[in-house]
Amino acid sequence: MNKQLNLQIHNKIPEIERVCESIAEFCREHSISDKIIFSLHLALDEILTNIITYGYSDQNDHLIDIRYSLHNDYFTLEIEDDSNPYDPANAPTPDVNACLEDRKIGGLGIYLIKNMMDEIKYSTKNGKNKLILTKKF
Amino acid sequence: MQINVEKIEDIYIISLEGNLDSNTSGALEKKLIPAIDQNNTKFILDFSKLRYISSAGLRVLLGAAKKLNQFRGKLILCSVKSDVKEVFEIAGLLPIFPICDDPETAASKILD
Repeated sequence: MNKQLNLQIHNKIPEIERVCESIAEFCREHSISDKIIFSLHLALDEILTNIITYGYSDQNDHLIDIRYSLHNDYFTLEIEDDSNPYDPANAPTPDVNACLEDRKIGGLGIYLIKNMMDEIKYSTKNGKNKLILTKKF
Repeated sequence: MQINVEKIEDIYIISLEGNLDSNTSGALEKKLIPAIDQNNTKFILDFSKLRYISSAGLRVLLGAAKKLNQFRGKLILCSVKSDVKEVFEIAGLLPIFPICDDPETAASKILD
């Protein structure tokens, strides 16, 4: 089994829910558990939110390509965009043991993705970022 | 996301329905922060109909908790679904946000 769903969105926050819902629906049609759908939703939402919120130096319209591939015992999620280069490996790790006073408000998004996914591969080529997330069932 | 705000005596009960994410967290922030600024110190967030939370949602809750902490206020979550709870767990937020099974338990805890 290798089923694919290709989607494209504009760099607008409200687009995220639509694309997450399309993938969730595709997963439900293929009997993927709600728990897996939740982690997929979270990872995709976090990365798209980061790209759209922080990734562009201009106010122009940009397109982001998303490819979801379902295999027998894992899925991959590829996100390709022309935002500024970002490598999730370089994101600082938040101190999740800090008390409330010492807690930083942000920086949890990438940390959640790293915890929810089994593999994260990032590359940049010809002005395009490509992120491949893999999760085993 | 739907946000329903109720005030019973001096306790704010805010019920969320749907997804708390980058698209909707601003709406919650607009309800929570002004209420804290008006010296309200007791908040219960009912998550029984909250299906999903992202770091954008956690960010608003952390901001509110930090602000409330200065006024010795309390923010308690109740009826949290397991997937949502797991996000709090990964982010190390379970020691920061008390979670009760239902609004009644949360109300008695907040009045302690």
